[in-house]
Amino acid sequence: MSLNRRQFLAAGLGAAGTLATGVGLGAHVLPVLAREDLIPGQAPDMTLAPAAWTTTADHVSFVALGDNGSGGRQAMAVAEQMARTYRNRPYGNVVLLGDICYYGKFDDRYQDVFVRPMSPLLDADVTFDLAIGNHDDALRHSETGYEEIEAEVTLLDTPGRYYSQTYGPADVFLLDSSIPGLFGPDSEQLEWLDDTLASATSQWRIVAMHHPPYSSGRHGSTPRAEEVLVPILQRHKVDLVLAGHDHHYERTVPLDGITYVVSGGGCKTTKVGRSDFTEVAKRILEFLHVEIDGDRLTGTCIQPQGQIADRFELRAREGR
Amino acid sequence: MSRRTLLRVAIATYAFVDWLVIMAPSLAVKLAADRGGLGDSKGLDLIFASLAIAIPHAVVAGRRLRNAERSAVWRADIWIAAIDALVVLALSTTLLVLVVLGVFAEEHAALANRGYPIVALWMGLQLVAVVLAEATGRFVFWWLEPHRAVKLLHPSRYRPPTARHEARQASSGT
Repeated sequence: MSLNRRQFLAAGLGAAGTLATGVGLGAHVLPVLAREDLIPGQAPDMTLAPAAWTTTADHVSFVALGDNGSGGRQAMAVAEQMARTYRNRPYGNVVLLGDICYYGKFDDRYQDVFVRPMSPLLDADVTFDLAIGNHDDALRHSETGYEEIEAEVTLLDTPGRYYSQTYGPADVFLLDSSIPGLFGPDSEQLEWLDDTLASATSQWRIVAMHHPPYSSGRHGSTPRAEEVLVPILQRHKVDLVLAGHDHHYERTVPLDGITYVVSGGGCKTTKVGRSDFTEVAKRILEFLHVEIDGDRLTGTCIQPQGQIADRFELRAREGR
Repeated sequence: MSRRTLLRVAIATYAFVDWLVIMAPSLAVKLAADRGGLGDSKGLDLIFASLAIAIPHAVVAGRRLRNAERSAVWRADIWIAAIDALVVLALSTTLLVLVVLGVFAEEHAALANRGYPIVALWMGLQLVAVVLAEATGRFVFWWLEPHRAVKLLHPSRYRPPTARHEARQASSGT
């Protein structure tokens, strides 16, 4: 059978289109659509008792949430479960592990990605502390990127780009891992961390940042973190490191006494494998509830329907 | 297998692929929600919305092929046009959703608390994709078989392109 010129052209376009569609849609577009949580979600409609938590010198509860900035259905489902969890196990702080705004500027999307999903907790006077992430600096260290971070810092009333907070018996150090050179030589932030950890007196030391030192996910372990950041954490006997960036939940075995958790399932999920350091790894939407009671820290990874994906317990270091 | 049966199977397969292409985005979203640990009912509204578009369009696409089979001079023209339509459907049904929801996220978020507009938006985008695909399929078929337009617009100048075609038209009464 011979084709005329029109048939040849139309058939050629069809064949090329089929190839492009097969490869492009299957490998790229559909996975992006599935991953990105683009379908806008309904905000949780709950009223919570204000300030229902108890924080004392040896007891505190807080939640860590990473990569929740879509304003989509999955983000809303996680936020709703956070509110339900508050009802049963009230907490006074949320540590945001970065990437709190996707698909636009935080100034414009503040209501969609933060106020609407978190309104029950905001109304209950829960405070939010932010560790800045790379999507919060979406244009990679450009002027616009810095403006974006400034907007977040201002709107969330964050003390600075990196800072520490005391939650009952725990000192929490929040880093900005999007700063160029955080893991390079002469990092002011690392010097600050080294000094501040050295003078910390609390029983528990927790570091929160966006980029994970150890991860078996899509982005993987952050380059150079193991060489320049981890020795500082080891030297000062940090207990727990919380991070996001990869959209899964992962907990390492204790590495020189430090447990590293990736809790980046605030609104999307990506593949996760297992590494030598992995204790638990799951591709799920989740947040981490942390409760400290004296010399015992309990971490509970909670999914949107309330399922418990992981529970772990740490004991305070000797001498603290 | 007779030629007629083979044709029926080919048309049914095409209609099924057409249906699957329209369903794919909602299935992808639903699978992601399930994998993430959301409840069973999350994402079903989009699946039902896509079903409401996919089922009628699979029927329309099947009929388009059957009608084309009756009037086409060259059978290849039918399937070339059908593949082109399917490619446009696959690209537009997925990319439209991705671009419109991703780029205009703020606007859609404002609708979200009212629930149904999101489903309406989803159906609207899929409807646009279906219209684009139908237009592509019909245009390409018309472009490949220009004598059909001549018959329609200038009946006096129409000459059947082949004797086989003339005989088929006479037997089918068209």
